Amino acid sequence: MKALLNRLPIETYVVAFTVALWIALSLTAPNFLSQNNISNMMRQTSIAGIVAIGVTCTIVIAGIDLSVGSVVAFCGVAFAQMCGHGLGLAPAAAITLLAGLTVGLINAVAIGRLGIPAFIVTLAGLQVYRGLALLLSGGMTVGGLPPEVKDFARGTAALPNLFWTMLAVAIVFHYLLRYTRTGRYMYALGSNAEAARRQGINTFRITLTAYVMSSGLAALGGLLLVSRLSIASPSMANAYELQAIAAAVVGGASLFGGRGTVLGAVVGAILFTTMSNAAVLLSVDPFWEMVLEGLLIALVVYLDNLQKRRQSGA
Amino acid sequence: MQWKTILAASVALSTLVGLHAAEAEDSIAVIVKATTSEYWQWVFKGAEDAGKELGIKIDKLGTPKDDAAGQIAVLESAAGSKPAAIVISPTIFEALGDPIAAVTKAGIPVIVIDSGAKTDKYSSFLTTNNEAGGKAAAEALAACIKERTGKMAGKVGYITAMAGHESLDSRDKGFVEGMKAYPDITNVGNRVANNEEAEGMNFTADMLTKDPDLVGIFADNAQMGTGAGASINEQKLGSKFCLVAFDSDAGELEHLKDGSIYALIIQDPYMMGFGGVWYGYAAAHGVRLPKNVDTGVGTVTKASMDDPKLAGLLDVNKRKLTPFLGN
Repeated sequence: MKALLNRLPIETYVVAFTVALWIALSLTAPNFLSQNNISNMMRQTSIAGIVAIGVTCTIVIAGIDLSVGSVVAFCGVAFAQMCGHGLGLAPAAAITLLAGLTVGLINAVAIGRLGIPAFIVTLAGLQVYRGLALLLSGGMTVGGLPPEVKDFARGTAALPNLFWTMLAVAIVFHYLLRYTRTGRYMYALGSNAEAARRQGINTFRITLTAYVMSSGLAALGGLLLVSRLSIASPSMANAYELQAIAAAVVGGASLFGGRGTVLGAVVGAILFTTMSNAAVLLSVDPFWEMVLEGLLIALVVYLDNLQKRRQSGA
Repeated sequence: MQWKTILAASVALSTLVGLHAAEAEDSIAVIVKATTSEYWQWVFKGAEDAGKELGIKIDKLGTPKDDAAGQIAVLESAAGSKPAAIVISPTIFEALGDPIAAVTKAGIPVIVIDSGAKTDKYSSFLTTNNEAGGKAAAEALAACIKERTGKMAGKVGYITAMAGHESLDSRDKGFVEGMKAYPDITNVGNRVANNEEAEGMNFTADMLTKDPDLVGIFADNAQMGTGAGASINEQKLGSKFCLVAFDSDAGELEHLKDGSIYALIIQDPYMMGFGGVWYGYAAAHGVRLPKNVDTGVGTVTKASMDDPKLAGLLDVNKRKLTPFLGN
């Protein structure tokens, strides 16, 4: 039994913890299980989950993407400006996604070809794209969008549209990471870059794939956030990169690379949404909420390390 | 390979530091709290208009986000280029006190706008009386509750955009004090965000889940107002619920129009920028100025938003010079 517990991946514990939290909340907070609250939480978690899936792709290859929050804001503002200037929704969305993919391409070239550390490249990106969001908007909130923009995020088909979008993204990326050769190469590159190179893996192509995935999903997150807020603001998506990294790490990703799953990132995002929802429902002091979330990250990573040590010892 | 790393690092650093060069003597530096907010763009617009009339150059400075250490660095480098005066809105009361006193001591007059700093070594302080603004919000919220529920009773809460900001704390204090005038209205307390619109949206939804009988919320800045408005709109509560928010950005105005926001408590950032530069120019020429100037607050509802008198307060492009609000 103990051996079995030791072999379970950390995601299992995080899922168990989340479910335990749900049970505790449904007993203590009368409205927690209301349909309204559940669909609220689904909307609240979706964008963070999508961004976290993207960042997980870069963490798997032992990289990092600190620029995603700024890319969400930049792409959101760009989308809103294009709509405001009379471009149709579909072309504006397509150009926005293309811009996101280009950001990933630039990151990958800087990291893979120029040899600049991912941390530095994407830290620079964090500043650059926030700056571009400000330039594009003149520092102002961009409003006056066609009503169809907000209809998407408000809409439901049994579950909120936003949640369906996250599920679709999760399924596609789970498949890509788990069942394709590119996915296996990503884990190989993250576990041991030198070994991957010797096996003849085109490491630049894999790096490119990971960063394009991350920025592309951030761009999608930007579109969805504009839909949700019905405006675009250069200040939106503040610190989303940290939330995304926290969700990935709590979901079992290792910042040393080679580990991390789409399911883990989604569960991590759901856990943080649950905690923030719980803090309001249980009237937890807002400052304690931050402390508890921080402690949770530390605890999960500690347990994960402990378990890995036991596994390697066994 | 190494030079590339160094080059990249220096590029990254220079984007982080973001220093601006200012020209000496005939310029006034205007340092705001966060260049990412529409509110501060209005301050810049007012400052530039004043600069045009005075024939001086305006250096528009600040950090993208509220960042006390970053703002101190910007203040020090601005002072280093010896402008005629510096207009600044301190990010954090305690942190900016000594740096502002040091600039004054170096012979550059400082005009403080919007939020205070822990010093009296400045030429003049132009600000919204934020506590009065919070009180105005409480009055508007109570009026709305009376109008929409028929009685002056129920539960209300409020959303604080960020922790530890003097102007926000004063608004909240004014609101909490103001609400005490209505004994049958219970204040269930607040949530504190990180100044991001989606958080304002999430908090509003979660607060309504916790207290489904909540009748009103006060959102204490534009980001929270926009987020809270989007949540009320999403839940189609517009005509039943009472949301009052501070400031007036594009998102808030949209929600004022669609009925999700009942009233906006507006300040006069344009006049803070305009007046700040004008006062700075006067101080640089030896004019003794009043130490404190209240730039006033106003309340706008859907019914009054088309009033031509308010047009300039809701759209900076229509702004003309007027007396300070409330005068």
